[in-house]
Order: sequence, then structure tokens, then C-alpha cells
Amino acid sequence: MPRVVRSTVIAEPVETIWAILRDFNGHDQWHPAVAESTIERGQTADRVGCVRRFRLADGSELREKLLTLSDADMAFSYCLLDTPIPLLNYVAHVRLAPVTDGDQTFWHWESRFDTPKGREAELTRLVGEEIYNGGFNAIRGHLAERVR
Amino acid sequence: MARVYISSVIDAPVGRVWERVRDFNGLPRWLPLVRESRIENGEPSDRVGCVRDFRLQNGDRLREQLLALSDYDYFCTYSILESPMPLTAYIATLRLTPITDGDRTFAEWSAEFDCAAELAEELVTNIGQNVFQAGFTALKRQMVA
Repeated sequence: MPRVVRSTVIAEPVETIWAILRDFNGHDQWHPAVAESTIERGQTADRVGCVRRFRLADGSELREKLLTLSDADMAFSYCLLDTPIPLLNYVAHVRLAPVTDGDQTFWHWESRFDTPKGREAELTRLVGEEIYNGGFNAIRGHLAERVR
Repeated sequence: MARVYISSVIDAPVGRVWERVRDFNGLPRWLPLVRESRIENGEPSDRVGCVRDFRLQNGDRLREQLLALSDYDYFCTYSILESPMPLTAYIATLRLTPITDGDRTFAEWSAEFDCAAELAEELVTNIGQNVFQAGFTALKRQMVA
């Protein structure tokens, strides 16, 4: 079972980053891969168990379920329910921590999943680079834009 | 219960930082505050349960017991058995996490303890700044060298 881990440091206080990331329906506002997102059945995005249904820029549709949300630990977990990309049993964990030395944010994003035989490398790269590193860079850009 | 939390980014791969901090008897090699240290009963310093008996530059003496050590998760947990500080039930954890972006290290050092309410603020500041932050500042300098 492949495991993907990416982590970075963002030059903003942890509260700023958590305010953006804790919105399970907000990823269409900042992640370049996500075109639009809604929470099913009119639930709020901080209700554990809620499902986000979203479309990627290429039109494909995914559904993900919120498994854990912790304001105490500034962390959340989610799994994929439906996806055209063959990521099976996909569970991801996001966690933030303050860097007290400099008032910055440590951001850790990891997942485990199964893939069809022979596609591990391709899908591991897709998740780690396009989704996670792409997300890190997008948040930096998003914050820079907000300041402007 | 009082709580201390200090974290920092060290510009070196996690393996290198861990190599420096995992030795429970190695404080004099990286923490400027500590003058000398020994492990009681001639035990190896990576034996969980071992006790370090060490002296600070100012002559203060402390004894601390290793409660947990993980080469997999890069953390070390210990308690204070004896110290001149007016506190009890002190348990601390030093934890490293790789930062994949730039192959650096996220270092966290936290502690919880009981003390008289009017002493909490001073103890938290003292431990946080003079021990934990001073340790990270020293590590940052040493890892560049």
C-alpha cells in the first residue's frame, strides 16, 4: 500500500492557515485542481461525516467524506468515496502545527491508498506533486493575493 | 497543569538532527546549558527506563528518566525525577518530523507539569526560552557548521 507524505512551512501564523483549511468545502477557492465543490444534503462543512462532491478542472467528479475534524489539534482526515482516478481505500490526514520560533506554520499532508498493479509510481507522483505540493504552492499564492 | 510548547525549523535532514539528539546522555554535546551528564548504573543511553544524572553550567543537578524512545517516529519522552525547580509530574517530549519541502526538520519540544499557580508563568517562560528554544537555536547553529 503506497504511502505519500509531503510537508512544508508556510510563512503565516497557524491560525490563518487553519481558517482556510478547516473549511472542507473551501478547496475550490484555492486548490488549482478543483473547479467547484458542494457539500451534499445541505450539511455544514464542519459536520464530521459530511460528503463533499467536487469537479476537477478536467470535468471529472469526486466525492470525499470528512472522517475527523479537530480544532484542538488543527487536523482533519478524509477518505475518497467515488473517483475516476483509481485511488482505492484512499485515506488522507492533514495536520498543522505552529512554528513558535518565527510564528510560521508547519503543514503535514499524508495518505495511504491502493492502486492497480503497475500504476503505483504514476499515482504516487500525482498525489504527492499535483495534489499536495500543488496545494502548498496554491495556498502561498492565495495568501499573497489576499494581501494585495 | 502547566504546558510548554516550542517548535522550530532546522535546516538539516531529520536523520542528521536525530543523530545529535537521540543520545539521552548527549546533552552536553548540543545543549549549551548542560555541563556534564552520565547514565546511572552504567546502562546504555538508549535503554528505555535509564536515568541521566546531569549538571548545568550554574551547578544545578537534575535527574531525568527516559520513558520512550523511537527511531521510527523520531521522538524521545522523559520525566524529571529530581530538580531544583519547584514543580512535580514533569513529562516532556522532543519530537522531530521531516519537512519534505527542502529536506529540513520540524522540531517540537513540549512539557507538562504541576506547580503552584503563581509560579506557572515564570516556569513556562524559563523552560520554554532558556532550555527548549535555546536548544533549538544551538542545533540550528550546529547543523549549519
